[in-house]
Amino acid sequence: MIFNSIKWRLLLWMAFLLILILTGLGIAICHIHLADQLSQFDDRLEGQVATLTAALSGPVTPDPDEHPPGETPGDVSAEQTNRPSPPVDQPDAGPLRLPPAFDGLFGTRNTNSFYFVLWAHGDPAPFRESANAPDGVTRPHVSNKDTGTHIRVRHRFREAYHVTEHGDCVLVGRIVDSEYEEARHFALLIFFSGAGVLGLILAAAWWLLVRALRPLEKISAAALKIASGDLSQRINVPETESELGRLAAVLNSTFARLETAFAQQRQFTSDASHELRTPISVLISEAQTTLARERTPDDYREALAASLDAAQKMRRLTESLLELARLDAGQEMLRRENTNLAAIVQDSVKFVRALAVARRVQIHCDLAEAKIFCDASRIAQVVTNLLTNAINYNYDEGEIWITTHIEGGAAVLTVVDSGLGIAPSALPRVFERFFQADESRTAGNTGLGLSICKAIVEAHGGSIEVSSSLGRGSTFTVYLPA
Amino acid sequence: MRILIVEDEPRLQRNLVKALREEGYAVDAAGDGEDGLYKAEAFNYDAIILDVMLPRLDGWELLERLRKKKRTPVLMLTARDGHNDRVKGLDTGADDYLVKPFDLSELLARLRALIRRSTNQTSSKIEIRDVVLDTRARSALRGETPVVLTAREFAIIEYLAIHRGEVITRAEMYEHLFDENDDTLSNLLDVHIFSIRKKLGSEVIATRRGQGYCIE
Repeated sequence: MIFNSIKWRLLLWMAFLLILILTGLGIAICHIHLADQLSQFDDRLEGQVATLTAALSGPVTPDPDEHPPGETPGDVSAEQTNRPSPPVDQPDAGPLRLPPAFDGLFGTRNTNSFYFVLWAHGDPAPFRESANAPDGVTRPHVSNKDTGTHIRVRHRFREAYHVTEHGDCVLVGRIVDSEYEEARHFALLIFFSGAGVLGLILAAAWWLLVRALRPLEKISAAALKIASGDLSQRINVPETESELGRLAAVLNSTFARLETAFAQQRQFTSDASHELRTPISVLISEAQTTLARERTPDDYREALAASLDAAQKMRRLTESLLELARLDAGQEMLRRENTNLAAIVQDSVKFVRALAVARRVQIHCDLAEAKIFCDASRIAQVVTNLLTNAINYNYDEGEIWITTHIEGGAAVLTVVDSGLGIAPSALPRVFERFFQADESRTAGNTGLGLSICKAIVEAHGGSIEVSSSLGRGSTFTVYLPA
Repeated sequence: MRILIVEDEPRLQRNLVKALREEGYAVDAAGDGEDGLYKAEAFNYDAIILDVMLPRLDGWELLERLRKKKRTPVLMLTARDGHNDRVKGLDTGADDYLVKPFDLSELLARLRALIRRSTNQTSSKIEIRDVVLDTRARSALRGETPVVLTAREFAIIEYLAIHRGEVITRAEMYEHLFDENDDTLSNLLDVHIFSIRKKLGSEVIATRRGQGYCIE
């Protein structure tokens, strides 16, 4: 539907407004033109009235031997061609003599030429009129005092009249069809020029609109491809300064972030399934090997132990995955309360004591009170995890220092071990999901422990950092908003 | 047949070794890429089962380095079943590819096929005079009568049958039929040969004095 297209809607509105403006303008021009034409015409009429009046220059008396209409002016003028002096000098009551210039004006029977009618003072019937004067020209009603020249319009005729000081009335008129005809032609010209201008402007507007909206089409095409799953699509808009260019830039960066997020999600799913495949392989091949023939009870026991191991590993993995998924989903899982970080650490140290004793690792505590508003069980999980790592990746008879204090409005927890340390190349990746620095998957390691710590700390609005030197130990520092 | 398994998950490695030994293979195992490459280069295995994700040296790298020296058939095991991984594996020089988790029976079938291809056999049945060996069922028939052979005995006659017409030295027999964990008692090759001859007829395996054994 073209009315749903912005391009078409804009164009139609523009066309509507343009037509309004052009029509108004055209009508005004035509009016002014016609008025101008008529006023010029009136000037000519008035000029002729003046000339005629001057020719009369005295009270007009009815001429007894009136010439048949149409011939008289011609005869008169022919007679007077050799006499340049105006008839004003003639004695009054004589036959009206008209200046030679009138020959052409009133000489023909052409209905389209000027005519004149003269009325003597006090006589409603004309005493003289030109041959082409139409029927029914009545004497205008004017008081004798009014000696101005007036214009009147009678049907298709336009007439100027003037009452001389003697009370005679002079009227000159002409049919105005030709003026109106001319005005019609002019109006037609204006109409076609207006239509031409409208066409040109609309064509230019269309071109501009198409150009301006092309980026929009690119955007929608790219968005469509992205919607159908191709996240690598980007909008290619060359002019970056325009509004649409900026929009495209914003959308492109959004698409890029989406793609990264999707890639991470895909990587995570792929890693998760990879991590699950190994224990499942163990489970399947263990069962199949064992079932292939008769076994001794010891063999069965061993097979079951191996299967249980694999199943436990899968359980740990799925629990960790679920936990990460929940933490990813948002903060609503946290049950925050006012607690003391030092108390949480003390509990955690108690919890891992047995493990530390087994490895003959010493734990030194330096715990200053640090009040925080947090989900105590989650933070305990972080502390326990860091402590377990510090024990597992330590040398036998190694040492661990754990401290809490307040620093710059934040509660700070540090866990320092004298252990194996992390290689500089692996250091930036320790918080990555499924990343394992030593790659030899020791039983029970999911590669998710530190990722979960990071997710918990970040859910609390805090941060976690690590520094390490290979062979000498690592330091994990957790900042939590107090 | 001697097989090398390179797998870092200890449980899975132990299980595969057990399963393959029960099938009559001599099996060595390596827990990381470096050890795997060392063993693959040092011994002439009949096939290698290679996990892709390995510590120290991953499966791809191991395969690439091995292929510069040896044509040992390799069956790749991977936890990733992406199409690209499969193509990459086969392009790098893997002979077959299996995605975890797998069925043990499929692994064994693929392994047999791999060895058959590498020794140009077309069928799993080998006939020697009136004896028929079925390498798939790991059973032997003498005429119409089934003959019971131990796994080790079957491995010996199978190896000789596959390399039919060649004289196999005692050293080669030891290398291919006994793994690094076999104790010296089970290595008494002559005892096994004697037992096979008693079951299948003395003319089945010929002795080339001072050189080795041969099936003609």
